[in-house]
Amino acid sequence: MQVGDLSAPSVAVRRQSGQPHELRRFLLRRILTLIVTLWLASMLVFVVLNILPGKPAQVILGTQATPSSVAALTAKLGLNRPLVDQYLHWIHGLITFNLGNSYISAQPIAPVIGAALAVTGPLVLAGLLVGLVIAIPLGITSALKHTRRSGIILSGLAQIGIAVPNFVLGILFIIVFAVDLKVLPASGFTTWSTSVTGALESLVLPAIALGLVEGAILARYIRASVIEVLRADYLRTARAKGLRPNQALVRHGLRNASIPVLTVFGLELSGLIIGAVVIEAVFTLPGLGSLLLSSVANRDLITVQDIVMLVASTVLVVNTVVDILYRVIDPRMGLRS
Amino acid sequence: MASSLRHLAKASVLVASGALMLSACGSSSSTTSSTAKSTPLQTLTIGSSNVFPPTLNPTANASQAIDEVIDYNVLQHLVQLAPNGSIVPVLASSYTVSDANKVYTFTIRKGVKFSNGNPLTPADVVFSMKRVYAPGSTYPYGKIFDVSSVRQVGADQVQVTLTTPSWNWLYDLAAYSNGVILDPSTISTMATDPVGTGPFKVTGEVSNYSVTLARNNQYWGYKPHVSGVVFRYFSNADALNAALESGQVNMIDNLSAPSDATLFKSNPKYKVVSSLTNGKVQLTLNNAYGPLRNKLVRQAILYATDRKAIMDAASGGYGLIDGTDSVPADPYYIDLASEYPYNVTKAKQLMAQAGYSKGFSLQLILPPYFYAKLAAPLIVSELGAINIKVSVSTIDFPLWISQVFEGGDFQATIIDQAEGRDVSNYGTTGYYWHYAKTPQVAAELSAANAAPTKAQWIAGYRKVLKQITGDAVNDWLYIAPFITVIDKDIVGIPTTAYTESYNLSYVGIGGTIPASAKQLGYLS
Repeated sequence: MQVGDLSAPSVAVRRQSGQPHELRRFLLRRILTLIVTLWLASMLVFVVLNILPGKPAQVILGTQATPSSVAALTAKLGLNRPLVDQYLHWIHGLITFNLGNSYISAQPIAPVIGAALAVTGPLVLAGLLVGLVIAIPLGITSALKHTRRSGIILSGLAQIGIAVPNFVLGILFIIVFAVDLKVLPASGFTTWSTSVTGALESLVLPAIALGLVEGAILARYIRASVIEVLRADYLRTARAKGLRPNQALVRHGLRNASIPVLTVFGLELSGLIIGAVVIEAVFTLPGLGSLLLSSVANRDLITVQDIVMLVASTVLVVNTVVDILYRVIDPRMGLRS
Repeated sequence: MASSLRHLAKASVLVASGALMLSACGSSSSTTSSTAKSTPLQTLTIGSSNVFPPTLNPTANASQAIDEVIDYNVLQHLVQLAPNGSIVPVLASSYTVSDANKVYTFTIRKGVKFSNGNPLTPADVVFSMKRVYAPGSTYPYGKIFDVSSVRQVGADQVQVTLTTPSWNWLYDLAAYSNGVILDPSTISTMATDPVGTGPFKVTGEVSNYSVTLARNNQYWGYKPHVSGVVFRYFSNADALNAALESGQVNMIDNLSAPSDATLFKSNPKYKVVSSLTNGKVQLTLNNAYGPLRNKLVRQAILYATDRKAIMDAASGGYGLIDGTDSVPADPYYIDLASEYPYNVTKAKQLMAQAGYSKGFSLQLILPPYFYAKLAAPLIVSELGAINIKVSVSTIDFPLWISQVFEGGDFQATIIDQAEGRDVSNYGTTGYYWHYAKTPQVAAELSAANAAPTKAQWIAGYRKVLKQITGDAVNDWLYIAPFITVIDKDIVGIPTTAYTESYNLSYVGIGGTIPASAKQLGYLS
């Protein structure tokens, strides 16, 4: 029964949902939840940042500014208006895709975030790719051989991978590949417009440092998930039908094993983004992490708000998509829950 | 002391220095063009441990990171501070001071162009200076720009009248970015493309990563021996050191951990240039807090701190032991470093005399800086020896500004008071250390500023320095160093760090610099 369902999941969904409006209602509910969560997140971000001590105008003008200059700048930035007004103004901007102007440079924020995303986006994707390339074979092999010495060694390697922080790996890579072997740049970023190869070269070491740890974490989940599936009744049935263990796993087991992995994958995305902040600092990459840290230090609150909302939206959207996919892969989850 | 005498002498040769600068300008074009033909100019990449400039407009933000790149290099002043501490005429070809240091008349240099081709006019100077004190101005150094009027006189002169006479104003005009002269037509783009008359112009910026300057070929003076300069920013000292070792950058402009100098000192590929700044690293004491109201307690703290040990720990031994709010570059500098020699017995006696033989507890709030974190453990153990139980917490800088500096809500902190000639802080009402004799110091400083002779001004300031040291207002630990590591063929960098700007007017990769520039304090 399960085997049949799994071989045609989309059919199963349609069969179970009965009417297409059930799927529509489910999607609508998920999207509404997403919007409410984003709204709550925006309030939280705004309130937390605005009760943070350290008035932007005083931080901008420093210790030798006259009180009248500080007052003039506060008014110019619109920070003397009631907080509710400031919040509504910001949210209105976000909804109309206007991220506003930086308190510090008075320049539009969107292009600055765009430029930072051109570094962080590829870095996170490449890190993810490295992670998957490591995790899938490592996880499956160590599961298949989990009773043998080789499986235990592989599993131990993954454990070490989890234990080593990515910034330590980063520093190690800089010493070995950049300072000693001089095969890749020690740090920094060649912009895409200057040289695509240069940009790719700048991302190799950071992506590996970022991806290795994520790969090790994912490998542990894949291993556990595959081991569980290997013990399932339906897999025994499939093997009883005459399939070899690997065939049975590929044809019937992997889709089932992928459900918990998909959940972890969604959660790990936020881990990757946070990891990218650290890796960017180690390799001095001009990405979203550096922008966020410098904006906090400069009390460029509006830029911080925009970045946090961008990251929060990405994570929430990915989690919603995972949630929906989840039900598509596994119709047993149902659409009502 | 020798250095202090040199600095005292230097102030009297302003005109001579100006002439030197002019001769440097005059001799420059032939030197540069002849070398330029033989070898193509290279780009100098500077690895900076500073934060990325939050904007490129120094008139809108106090961050020193902006001045480091833009001030003197892109935007210039009427007069500027040379590395040897002298004030040299730059966009003014000469100036006169009259009416007991109240009226300053500048003759604007002829033939100067902004990098966009617009000529510099006296009207531009009047515009730039009026902009500092116009209503609604958001210039960061408003407190030290005490001007009542600026007007053009004749065809090529600008006259500035101060509200009160000052022996410091010319220095402030030279040293602080309030003095930059702007092209009025470029104000709206200053955050990303400040246009000035300096030896460089901004050609690119990657947010949180780098600022690129190209040589300004329209520059009126000596042309630096590089095609351009890239400032690259590193928040991580290890990455910065690795970038120098792997050849990604040609120099590190200031080691955030001065002890890292040992990594490069013995390597013949590099030169380590260490110099002093205006920064007084001090244990700031809140004179209005409980036991610290008592002068004897504050003096006990000064006796109990081993400043040499602290400087060794916090700055790898670089710097200069300090004993008051002054650095050797100040005309009024006096060496008061031996006023409170390290003496625990004496400190304990003073504590007993003040009625605190059993000590008290003290909260030490640190800004997130390397020197503060490194100095704190020693302060804790040294004050522990006289029964002051110190508890330490670290906060971020905006919070430090808000809580400690603005709110005065602290007991003690460790901070680098980085501004030059800032003894006037001791006369500023409500200043965060709450010195009880602030009004008296304010009166003494203003009397000194109105003094008819320079000697009397210096004497007045020295009296104030002796008084604040006698009152042990703060525990001045050491003068912060500025340590540059450069590829050995780099010339022309400033050999001191007494300005917020990192003046690259004479920088070159290979080659030599004019003798006059060497005399002004640029590395040959």
